[in-house]
Amino acid sequence: MKDINKKTGLARAKDIYNHRSKRARELKAEGKKVIGYFCCFPPVEIMTALDFLPLRLLGDMDEPITVADGYLPTVMCIFYRSTFDLGMKGRFDFIDGFIGAHACDGAERTSYIWSNYIKTPCNFFLDLPHVDKGEAVSYFKGQLNYLKETIEGLAGKKLDIESLKEAISLHNKQRQLVRELYYLRKPDPPLINGSEVLQVMISIMMIPAEEGNALIQEVIDEVKTRQDIPDKKNGRLLVWGSLIDNIKFTDLIESSGLNIIIEDTATGTRPFWHDIEETEDPLDGVARHYLQEVKCPRTFAETDTSYKEDLENRYSYLKDFAKYWKVNGVFGNIIRNCDIHGYEIPAVKDYLESLGLPVLIIEQDYSTASLEPLRTRFQAFAETIG
Amino acid sequence: MKTENKKIKKKSGKTLQTAREASYFAKKMLKNALQAQEEGRPIGWSMVTWWQGELIARAIGAELVFPENYGAFCAATGGAEKHLEISDSEGYPATLCGYARNSIGYAKLLSDNNFVPYEGAPGGGLAKPKFFLASGTACDARYKWFQALKRYFTEAPVWTVDLPMPGTKEFFYKGNKELGLKYIVDHLKDYVAFLENLLGTKLDYDRLNEIVDQTFKTLALAHEVDILRRAVPSPMVGSDFWSIMIPHLYLPEDPEAYEFYKKVYAEVKQRVDNKIGAIPNEKYRLMFAELPPWHSLGFFGELAEKFGMAIVIESWNYHAILPIPEEEFEGVTDPLEKVAMLTYYKWTEYNKVALEYNVDPGFFMAAYFQFAKDYKTDGLLAHPLMSCRPATYTLLHTKNTLENKLKIPGVVIDGDIIDLRVFNEKEAFSKMEAFVETMDHYREERKKAGIAW
Repeated sequence: MKDINKKTGLARAKDIYNHRSKRARELKAEGKKVIGYFCCFPPVEIMTALDFLPLRLLGDMDEPITVADGYLPTVMCIFYRSTFDLGMKGRFDFIDGFIGAHACDGAERTSYIWSNYIKTPCNFFLDLPHVDKGEAVSYFKGQLNYLKETIEGLAGKKLDIESLKEAISLHNKQRQLVRELYYLRKPDPPLINGSEVLQVMISIMMIPAEEGNALIQEVIDEVKTRQDIPDKKNGRLLVWGSLIDNIKFTDLIESSGLNIIIEDTATGTRPFWHDIEETEDPLDGVARHYLQEVKCPRTFAETDTSYKEDLENRYSYLKDFAKYWKVNGVFGNIIRNCDIHGYEIPAVKDYLESLGLPVLIIEQDYSTASLEPLRTRFQAFAETIG
Repeated sequence: MKTENKKIKKKSGKTLQTAREASYFAKKMLKNALQAQEEGRPIGWSMVTWWQGELIARAIGAELVFPENYGAFCAATGGAEKHLEISDSEGYPATLCGYARNSIGYAKLLSDNNFVPYEGAPGGGLAKPKFFLASGTACDARYKWFQALKRYFTEAPVWTVDLPMPGTKEFFYKGNKELGLKYIVDHLKDYVAFLENLLGTKLDYDRLNEIVDQTFKTLALAHEVDILRRAVPSPMVGSDFWSIMIPHLYLPEDPEAYEFYKKVYAEVKQRVDNKIGAIPNEKYRLMFAELPPWHSLGFFGELAEKFGMAIVIESWNYHAILPIPEEEFEGVTDPLEKVAMLTYYKWTEYNKVALEYNVDPGFFMAAYFQFAKDYKTDGLLAHPLMSCRPATYTLLHTKNTLENKLKIPGVVIDGDIIDLRVFNEKEAFSKMEAFVETMDHYREERKKAGIAW
């Protein structure tokens, strides 16, 4: 047993969070191949079914961007600039394959540029339609087939349907466990704080699904019985928008009089909120899930309705979140230069404020060095909603 | 601060008579839309979709206006700043696309004024839309922006026409091109149904066929002009192109556009035949990437005057499509399929070049490798845009790889399409002055490497 496996539950999540590539490197040493991927759209089920470790490629808010400056303009998404910067510095030099994705402009362009400079034995760019109509799902399924064929080459074997069905079932189990974890935040105060949840969420993106499922179950069991639960605070916060992947950010928010209760982000609910439907051809269910069920404003929803109905179509799930988790405020997190969320701001504010929920929007620079000045804004927001 | 940033009016840098006449088409679009509003005909606010959505909309009788083009128009005529401030006050980030912010500000004013363009609106203003034609191509702003505009036009539906955008390598996977075309055709059928339902009229496919044929004719002629531009000295420059692109990009099905291009062709051909350069004493032949600072086009005139720099070719995405081999059309009778081919071939036309040079993406980047050869260029002037970021994401990468693989140096001049505050003309001029020596150096490097020009 490796050291990392000696810890359990929250302690183990913290360890994996702090040493994100450690488990991947260990498994690599044991002969397992690792595929790094962008955002939450490349289906991890296909990777798992072919015995790869899917590893989510993230940036690092603690690491100043230096090398990327020569390749990516400063005006672009800082998260992807950071991720590319880490790639150029060798942070992901152990991965065997890279799957880029047409998730948003930042992910798309960085995917192309990545494959020019950061060489891996296998790489694939997953095109993802912007709309969720039937023809788009068919096209996307075709792209998933190409993805499958490409990584079959790296795996040295063909993907059989049963393995894919098993992997879907395994990842659906993970989705169910994540939701169960989130339900522990319903009480006031929640049984688990935002930083702890974030550590778990990041961890499960860095380890095999079976280990991730075991980890979440351990955390759930631990949290249900522990005594040292978070303090009750003024604010019960729904976080919406760009992803958060550093607990210095969530610590800052939660030390400002707010409890984070639920996150509608790419490291929060979005990849986990719906199970993949079991279909005769499993790729049908996979394609539909990623294009139609992963809620991200990058996928356009038709608006052949009034503005009010349009808002309802786009955001009613936020109302459900807010009601069930009894949130009393929303933090709209925008990583600077994130167009996908930037264009949504007035509309999402219109909607949430119509529900009586105050909204705090902050554009931030994806850098822990520039977090502290935000503290007073969170404190003021906490006082407002308390 | 505002006085410091005040633009001093300079010459536009246009050298062709036809370029001076091209604004007719921009004004025509605005005027037609206002007239359509008066007559109760449907108006669509449209993105450039590289003809994928526009031709069908026009065939069914909609009048289109282009807020992107209107953004450039407002910037060039000094009318954008007011709109930008309103967009900011509405809560949209100031980091969003300048064109988008311009139209958001304008939309707010239009909505507040009972959908009558305000007094003094640039070009008479954009008429109220019946629908929005958004695009999934090129950048996210081009559908998110129209989705956002629904806030001001609460009953106008937004339709996004999508386009497959696989990676270069993936595009050549067996069957993927066909899969992409099928997706587009199926998607266009949905789009036709949407328009028919919204407008209460059926699409006349014969009319669409005529429009598609006329579009191919105009684009073929526009491409012939591009070929003429390979001559040394360059018969026209970027400042000319930014005007003459309007008809082929926005109105290619308009017979007037075709007639206009005949005149452009004749004017450029006359210069080529007589070895007349667009600028006197052409010394350096530059490629330009991405959109220009519309508010400061005179900058290019100064570069020509002081350093003999000519912009001989510019951003691939605004140019006409390369000719599609006739055999590709064998058995194709459905105009929707022709439209699909037109747009998809445009966006993948340089994928082979991308493979040859082992660079990605094929769009936005690979064309410069072909341009460098065909137009015998000395350098790349890259213009990252503060508020049109996705178009600029690949610029440093393009600059680096052109230097490495073809020994074509690049210079980066930061700026914006709309916001003149981020364009420091004096600093830009100094950079260009220093770039002269760099280009001289690389000319020698190319000679040593046996590169032909």
